[in-house]
Amino acid sequence: MENLLTFKNVNYFYQTKNDEIFALNNVNFTIEKQSFASLVGPSGCGKTTILSLTAGLLKPSSGEILLDGENKINTKKIGYMFQKDFLFEWRSVWKNITLGIEIQHPKNKDEKLSFAEELLKKYDLYNFRNQKPRSLSGGMRQRVALIRTLALEPKLLLLDEPFSALDFQTRLSVCDDVYEIIKSEKKTALLVTHDISEAISMSDKIIVLSARPATVKDNIILNLEGKTPLKKREDKSFARLFDKIWSELTNEKTEQTN
Amino acid sequence: MKKQNKQINFSKAHKEYVKKLRRDKFVIIFFRIFVLIAFLGLWELLTYFNILDPFFVSSPSRIIAQLGTLAQSGTLFTHAWITLYETLIGFAIATILGYLIAVLLWWNEKVRKIFEPYVVVLNSLPKIALGPVIILWVGAGTSAIITMCVLICIVITTMSMLSAFLSVEEGKILLLKSMNANKFQILFKLVLPNSMPEFISVLKINVGMSWVGSIMGEYLTSKAGLGYLIVYGGQIFKIDLVMASTFVLCILAFGMYYLVSLLEKRYQRR
Repeated sequence: MENLLTFKNVNYFYQTKNDEIFALNNVNFTIEKQSFASLVGPSGCGKTTILSLTAGLLKPSSGEILLDGENKINTKKIGYMFQKDFLFEWRSVWKNITLGIEIQHPKNKDEKLSFAEELLKKYDLYNFRNQKPRSLSGGMRQRVALIRTLALEPKLLLLDEPFSALDFQTRLSVCDDVYEIIKSEKKTALLVTHDISEAISMSDKIIVLSARPATVKDNIILNLEGKTPLKKREDKSFARLFDKIWSELTNEKTEQTN
Repeated sequence: MKKQNKQINFSKAHKEYVKKLRRDKFVIIFFRIFVLIAFLGLWELLTYFNILDPFFVSSPSRIIAQLGTLAQSGTLFTHAWITLYETLIGFAIATILGYLIAVLLWWNEKVRKIFEPYVVVLNSLPKIALGPVIILWVGAGTSAIITMCVLICIVITTMSMLSAFLSVEEGKILLLKSMNANKFQILFKLVLPNSMPEFISVLKINVGMSWVGSIMGEYLTSKAGLGYLIVYGGQIFKIDLVMASTFVLCILAFGMYYLVSLLEKRYQRR
């Protein structure tokens, strides 16, 4: 299948007053259209940097990033979902969801608005559309945040640990919800996570990163049985994959200390 | 109906609890009024029996009589209106201008850093010290009083609003940026609405500060107003006039505060 996102020899340096931090070292990977990819790596290795570069919030120091065949990033093709839901408390659920449409005021505004309404109905939030975010549960808030991202119809979704603020039980069910929504909307997604089992249960491909300066250590293609992340956790190769990634990440740590 | 049914199902303990809450509230309101009546009554009695000299401390009945004469001659309303007018204008100018300056300082980081020390110095400077300068520059009278009022309120408005603007979560700004928002949109869709609670508390502070400003201005230079009446009353040893004017001042200031708190309630209900 065609690639939606390609990182070609991407290097990135952070500038601070007293230091220059080498964050990404020759990062190469590709993400296919309509696939779900995850980035895992030791904390602080530069996973979020990769997302910021993809979103066009940062520019690479060298190398090339191709999005949908273009080497100039069009922010309108990207939807970014953060660790926190960042819902605006003074806006109703509906007003939060249409925030992006309000900002970009696209030509086909009415179309987008009716699409957003459709999403709300489809994912059981329509009855809450006039409520303020504070009356929603953590899982619902995260769903609203996802629909806010989807309402702009991005081609690529960037998910920066979007479940880490939720308790474990909610996390598993929201994980399923989000996965289902992304798959049924036929979106491509790039997930950053600390949670290896979350990465295995959701992804078609896992990109394992080394410690800083991050470089791609391994590309793992997954083919687990099961329709939802929760079901995939029952696959017999789950434990083996977990061990493999775990050892890759922990080896990293021992190498570092040596 | 439904609510009533629900209440019946509550335990006896809950009933007792609600009863206690109501009783406590009653006690508080009762003693509030009691303190006021006791204070006024004691004041009246002590002066009536000449234990305290009403020439120096006035008395409630004398204040009421004074208010009556002032009201009859119409001067009470003229003076009250002048001070109220100065306060409201000063309050409005200081709030709007201070807010706009805060927006400007938020907008441009360099400008903010350049002006930071000046704002700090202005904030710690006792504005009354500028009195003579103000009179020389804008002339004696109403404009000097309004200027004083503005000077007292504006720095705190700018400082409070700026710190509210700067306390917006970085992630929310990033979210808007990822949606391709420009700086105007970040300001109007996020920074300003996000700082509404701080804005209301600035309004509350400014209600108090603007009265300080206008009365201080009237002490400096005035031919009319409640501050003028207070100074004049003091100079001719007419404590009744001082007290009566202070009383009117209390009512007006409370009224203004009450309006702002109504605004706050309306905002919170939204």
